[in-house]
Amino acid sequence: MFEVPDDLRYMESHEWTSTDDVARIGITDFAQDELGDVVFVELPDEGSELTKGDEFGVVESIKAVSDLYAPISGTVVGVNEALFDQPELVNDDPYAEGWMLEVEPADDGEFDELLTAEEYREQTE
Amino acid sequence: MIHDQARYVENGQYEPLLSEKGTSEVDVGGDDSPLPDDLTRDSVELPALSEPELARHYTRLSQMNWSIDSGPYPLGSCTMKYNPKFTEEVAADPKGAVHPDRSARSVQGSLGLLHGLQEYLARIGGMDAVTLQPPAGAAGEFAGILVAKAYHEANGEDRDEVIIPASAHGTNFASAAMAGYDVVELPSAEDGRVDVEALEAAVGDDTAALMLTNPNTVGLFERDIERIAETVHDAGGLLYYDGANLNALLGRARPGDMGFDIMHYNVHKTFATPHGGGGPGAGPVGVVDELAEFLPAPRVRERSSGSGYELFDPERSVGKVHGFQGNWLVLVKAYAYIARLGDEGLLDASAKAVLNANYLGSQVEFDIPYGPFHHEFAATAGEKDAADVAKRMLDYGVHPPTTKWPEMVPEAMLTEPTEIETKKSLDDLAAAFNAAAGDDEETLADAPSRTTARRIDQVSAARNPRLSWQALDGDE
Amino acid sequence: MTRERGSPYAPHAEGETAAMLDAVGVDDEEALFDIPEGVRFDGEFGIEPRSEQALRRELTALLGRNDDLTEFMGRGHYDHYVPSIVDNLSQRAEFLTSYTQYQPEITQGFLQALFEYQSMLVELTGLPVANCSMYDSATALAEAARLADRVRQASGTRVFVPEFLRSGKRGVLDNYLAGTEMTVETYPMDDGNVDVEALAELVDDETAMVYAENPTVRGSIEERLAEIGELASENDALFCLGTDLVALALLEEPASVGADVVVGEAGVLGLPNAYGMGLGLFATREEYLRQVPGRLVGVSEDAADRRAYTLTLQTREQHIRRERATSNICTNQAWVALRAAIHLAWLGPSELVDLAEDCVRDAAALAERLDALVGLKAPVHDRHHFREFVVRCDQPAAAIAGDLETEGYAVHVVGEHLLQVCITDANAHKADELVAAFEGVL
Repeated sequence: MFEVPDDLRYMESHEWTSTDDVARIGITDFAQDELGDVVFVELPDEGSELTKGDEFGVVESIKAVSDLYAPISGTVVGVNEALFDQPELVNDDPYAEGWMLEVEPADDGEFDELLTAEEYREQTE
Repeated sequence: MIHDQARYVENGQYEPLLSEKGTSEVDVGGDDSPLPDDLTRDSVELPALSEPELARHYTRLSQMNWSIDSGPYPLGSCTMKYNPKFTEEVAADPKGAVHPDRSARSVQGSLGLLHGLQEYLARIGGMDAVTLQPPAGAAGEFAGILVAKAYHEANGEDRDEVIIPASAHGTNFASAAMAGYDVVELPSAEDGRVDVEALEAAVGDDTAALMLTNPNTVGLFERDIERIAETVHDAGGLLYYDGANLNALLGRARPGDMGFDIMHYNVHKTFATPHGGGGPGAGPVGVVDELAEFLPAPRVRERSSGSGYELFDPERSVGKVHGFQGNWLVLVKAYAYIARLGDEGLLDASAKAVLNANYLGSQVEFDIPYGPFHHEFAATAGEKDAADVAKRMLDYGVHPPTTKWPEMVPEAMLTEPTEIETKKSLDDLAAAFNAAAGDDEETLADAPSRTTARRIDQVSAARNPRLSWQALDGDE
Repeated sequence: MTRERGSPYAPHAEGETAAMLDAVGVDDEEALFDIPEGVRFDGEFGIEPRSEQALRRELTALLGRNDDLTEFMGRGHYDHYVPSIVDNLSQRAEFLTSYTQYQPEITQGFLQALFEYQSMLVELTGLPVANCSMYDSATALAEAARLADRVRQASGTRVFVPEFLRSGKRGVLDNYLAGTEMTVETYPMDDGNVDVEALAELVDDETAMVYAENPTVRGSIEERLAEIGELASENDALFCLGTDLVALALLEEPASVGADVVVGEAGVLGLPNAYGMGLGLFATREEYLRQVPGRLVGVSEDAADRRAYTLTLQTREQHIRRERATSNICTNQAWVALRAAIHLAWLGPSELVDLAEDCVRDAAALAERLDALVGLKAPVHDRHHFREFVVRCDQPAAAIAGDLETEGYAVHVVGEHLLQVCITDANAHKADELVAAFEGVL
C-alpha cells in the first residue's frame, strides 16, 4: 500500500498539494514508486505563475520523463532547491523533504476541485 | 554456454584511462610559433604514449567489448547482421578517397557506384528516385518528412500533423517534431497492428503523413496496409515507410507496391554495413516519381549523352541534410553487400531471417503475445524484470534482446536473431533465454558476473554526471 | 525468382533448415510470410549475384575510373595523414561490428574509448561537456542552433552566420531550423574575417545565436573572437564557434573567448578523404547539459565498486523523450570518433601542435610562392591562414582550375577570379609540383 496522507488534496496525474495559505506541492508516494529512482527535477523559478492543470516542471528517472501538472493556480514563493542536488529526496520522503514548490494560491476554491485522499486512494488501487 | 569476458584490473580499476597512463602538457605559442601569441592558446595537455602502449590499450578495450563477431547479438529492431569482411577492403580503396568538391568528370568511378546504389535501392524498395545523402536512419526520416512538407507546400496545402503509431521507433516522433509537425499518436489495435478505425478517425485535412514500420515493431505485417494507404491518400496525406524492418521483406513485398510514397533504408541494418559501436550508418531515402523533384541536393544521374554520370540539383529540392554527400564509406559497403548477394541472396536473407526468428521463438519458454511474426518477436518476461533477464543472459554467452520496448508488450524482450545464426547458435540463444527464465530473482538481480564489469549503477551516473576524465579529478 | 544460391552469410545446411521448419511447423519459409496477395512482389530486382573475387575486381575497376588527381582541397573536408595504427585498431571486429552500448557491462571497451574521446574534446575546447559525436560539422552547427532555440527562446529568434559559409552548412542549418521560429541571417566579413563593427550593428536582444568560424572557410584566422563572444553575451545570445580538431590545438581556446558551444569537424583526424563523410564535434557549457543532443558517456560504479562507464542522461534522447527529445539522432558516428581518438592519442600533444603549426607555416609558404607568379595574388586576405587561402587570378578561375586538373591537380573555384588552395601534411610534399603546374597553366 502506498502512503496517501488524509490532509492533502490530489491530482489524477499524481501531484499533491497542501491546503495551507502557502500551499506545498509535490508528487505522491505512488508516483515516485512508478518512476523509480528519480535522478533529476526541473522546477520553475520563484515568482513564476502557475495555472491549474498546466505543466510546471519535469521529473526524470533513468528511463522515464514525467511532466508535473499544477494542482492549483498561484504564485511560486518557494522552490525546494535541495532536490537539485538530492533528487532522491522525492523517492525517500515524497510528502515532506521531497516537496517541490510553495505556492500562494490564487483561488482557494480550487482545492475543492481536487481529489480527496480517499478518492485518490481508489484511483491507485 | 558460459562466457567469461576479458577483465583487466589495475589498482582496483579496470583498464586505466589514457590520462592515467601518462599525459604531457605542451606550451603553445612563443618565439618559434608561426602565429602571434594573442592568436594562440597557452598550452595543450593530452595523453602522451608510445605506439606500443596505445596498441595494448585499445586491444584491451576491444577485448572488453561484445560484437557480432563475438557471438549472437539479437537486438530487436537493430538487425545485427554479420558484416562481410571484403566490404572493408572495398571501402578502403584509395581510389575512392576523394574530396567531395572534386569535379564530376574526375570522379566518375565514385559517381558510378553511387548511381548504382541509387538504382539497386530503388528496385528493392519499389521506389522511383533515391537520395543517398542522409547519414543515418533518423536523418533519412527527417529528410523524408521535409520532402512531404515541401510537397504539401508546393500544392498550397497547410497540413501540420504527422500520425505515428504508439509502437513506432522514437526517432519517428523526434524527426516529425524537428520538421515542425505536431505528432498524433495512434494506439495499437488488440491484435498488435494499426487500429484502422482509429486511423480513419485521426486522418483529415491536417494530416501531412502517416509514418509506419512494416512489419511493425513486434514483427507483424500490417495486413490492412492497402486500406491504410487508401485512408491516408484519400485524406490527402502521404505514407512514409520506416525501413528499419525491411530485412523481413526483401524480394517478397516492396514498400512502393504497398502504397508508400516515401521510405528510408537503414543500410547498417538491412545491408550489413557495420554498426561501429553506434555508427556510422546511412539512411538513403526513396520516393515515388511525384516527389522526386523535392529530394535533397545533389543527386547522381546518368549524363544525357549516355556516357558517364553527373550531379544535379532536383528542381524543387529541400536542400541539404548533410554538409556534403553523406557517409560515403558506408554507402560503398552497402553497394558491395547488395551486389554480392544479388536477387537470390537477398531473397534468401529474409527467408532465413524470418525462419530464424520463428525457430528461436518456438524454442524459448517465455510467452510471445503477438503473431504471426516475421524477422523478430516480442517475448514477455512476465513476472520477471526483462532488464534483469537480459543481464543474466550476458553470463550465458549471448547478447540479450532489446528490453522493455515496445511498451505494448509488458516486460518486453524484442528479439531479432537475423539470418546469420545457425541452428546451433539459435539453440544456444534459446538455452540462454530458458536458463535465465529458470533463475531466481536474486540471481537475476546479481547478474551479470562474467562480463568485464558487474551490474552498473545507472542512477549514480545520472544523478552525478561525470562526463570526462577532468570531471574525475578529486573524485576518487 | 529461383533460388539457385542463397546468401553466403546465412549459413544453413539443408538438414538444419528442415529441422527448424519442422520445429516451427511449416513446410517451407514462404509459409511464414503473412503478406496479403495484393501487395506480394513476384518480380525480380535484376541484381546478379557475384563471387567475392569477381566483385572485388569489378569494384576496383569501377573506382579506378576516378582520375588520379593530387588534391589541394579543403573548405570543410581535410586530408591529414592517418597512421596505420588507426585502421588496425579501429577495424578490430570487437569495435567495428558492435552495436550501441545499451548493455554497458559487456561493452566497457567502446564506452571507455568514447569517454576518452569526450575528455580530449573537453581539453581542446575548454568546455566541460562534449558528446560522443554528431554526423558532421554541418549537422553539429544545426544542432547548436536548435540548442540555442531551447535555452534562449524567450530572448530571441535571430541566428547570425558569416557571409563566407559553406553552402552545404547553411543548407543544413536552414532545414534543422525549419520547424522553429528561428531565422538565419548573414553578417558581413571584412577582409576574410568577421566584420565585428558590422556584426555589432546587427546583433540585438532578439538574437539567439552568433556563429563564427576559426579558421574561417577561407582559411583565415580570426583575430577578435573575444569581442564576438562579448557581443553575444551582452545580448544574451549564445556564441557558437566552429573549428576543427587540429586547429583547436593551436588557435585560441574556445572557452577563453567566451564560446558557449563549439562545433566543427573532428574527422580531420582519423578519417582519410571520404567524399565528405565526417565527424561532428559538439561541446558546450555545463548549464546546457540537459539540452545536449546525442549520446553522452558518463562514469559510474559497478557492483564490484569499480569505476565503470555507461551511456547516461538518456532521457534527453528520442527513444525516451520522443517528440520532445533534444534531437532525433540515434545512429551517430561512434566508430569515427574512436578513430579520431586513436589518432589524437597517437599524435600526443607535441606532434599535434606541430601538425597544427605546419598548417600555418605551409599555407603561408605556399601562398608566398603563388603570389610570386605573374597573374596570381595570394593570399587575397591580409590575414594569418590555417591550411588554406584564397588566390586571386587575372584569368578566369574556372579555366585555370580546369587546366590544373588536366595537369593532375585539384583546387577549388570560389569566385570568377578566385581559387582556393589547401595544404596539409598529406600533400605538402607535392607543393613544388603544384607551383610548377600553376606556372605552366598561367
